[in-house]
Amino acid sequence: MSSDVILVIVVGTALAFDFTNGFHDTANVVATSISTGAARPQVAIGVASLLNFVGAFISISVAATVAQDVVNADVVTPTVVFAGLIGAIAWNLITWYFGLPSSSSHALIGGVVGSAVAAAGFDAVLADGLVGKVLIPAVVAPVLAFLVAGASIGIVYRVVGRQRPGMVTRGFKYGQIVSGGLLSLAHGTNDAQKTMGVITLALVANGSLAAESDPPTWVIAAAAAAIALGTYSGGWRIIKTTGTRIIKMDAAQGFSSQGAGAAVILASTHFGFPLSTTHVINGGVMGAGAGKRVSAVRWGVAGNIVTAWLLTLPAAAAIGALAYGLTRIFGTGALGPVVVTLMSLSLIVAVFARRAQRGAPVPASSG
Amino acid sequence: MIATIVEGRALLETVIASLIAGVGVTFVFSIAIWGFGRFADLSRSERPIAAGVAGTVAALALVAVGAAVVIGIVVMTRK
Repeated sequence: MSSDVILVIVVGTALAFDFTNGFHDTANVVATSISTGAARPQVAIGVASLLNFVGAFISISVAATVAQDVVNADVVTPTVVFAGLIGAIAWNLITWYFGLPSSSSHALIGGVVGSAVAAAGFDAVLADGLVGKVLIPAVVAPVLAFLVAGASIGIVYRVVGRQRPGMVTRGFKYGQIVSGGLLSLAHGTNDAQKTMGVITLALVANGSLAAESDPPTWVIAAAAAAIALGTYSGGWRIIKTTGTRIIKMDAAQGFSSQGAGAAVILASTHFGFPLSTTHVINGGVMGAGAGKRVSAVRWGVAGNIVTAWLLTLPAAAAIGALAYGLTRIFGTGALGPVVVTLMSLSLIVAVFARRAQRGAPVPASSG
Repeated sequence: MIATIVEGRALLETVIASLIAGVGVTFVFSIAIWGFGRFADLSRSERPIAAGVAGTVAALALVAVGAAVVIGIVVMTRK
């Protein structure tokens, strides 16, 4: 009975994380379209939300990686998964508060790794999977997106450089409707799977599902709906950072960065790498800026973003470990997760209230 | 050691696929925009044959971009 209560809390927390993932990462998907004027904000977010939902049904290879290749399933309990999710949600909210586009994916993996280590020591971590499928792709993917977007924008300017600017801008704005859609699809398929993977991990840990099972259909549908709803709710603070603060973008740069992002994410998803869509898209935006002119990139803003990237795994891991420790103070039953959930909700309300006191989220158009 | 941890082949294929798809699609789409631009300019200059060639290049490039997008999605769904 107690384990079922914990499982329900874990599933609810995982879906809440998925919501914050969509909310936090909306910027990745729509910021370039909005900042270049290719789509109106509400339309861009609505379409992104729909395509995130559809994308979640495309593949489950990333979910399998998260569920099987990062931590040892034998030592994972629903409480470990719960604490990991708390770590991820907390880090997502902290970075949202400061308007930094950090990685929800690495927050999730960091949180789960931290709570697993707190529960069972460092033997709980599958180092090969963590390094080979998470850390190295984490470094490669944004650099790759940077290079692809940089090369792409160089080619674009060579091909259309002598055309009338109005025609070129209009053409790339139309192109951004497709590249933005593809990016939303790619985001949905890579990111929603992380939540599917975590819920599957909890179901296996609870004995509700056989080891190495694929996510059940209800898990896929619930994760798809949560990320779509989160995306629709939007995250204006990060949209502004991604869309206007890294570089001042033209439509060709928007198209190049979105195309690079979609290509890298779809290719990585195909091979089961749970990479950070945030890192990839911001890498693409920086590449599209640097490809035009290196000084076009606001490297100070880019530096803040990279710092948040580097901090994400250890910070989420530390919060995950702390959440696990707090949970265990109340024993192994459902009381711990219930208390930590209530504490987390109180903190979330406090963060939003403080944010509201400081002023409403800034619309991208104002920047 | 690192080579055994990293799925080197999968990572290499990811890099190659991303480069080809990302740069290739953007290049072909640029060709489409160039073609439409030339089509408009040549039509105004009353050079219908050259305009027709430019328009055809643009249309073919657009079809190629559409095909690349569809192939990308199909490859994803088959994993």
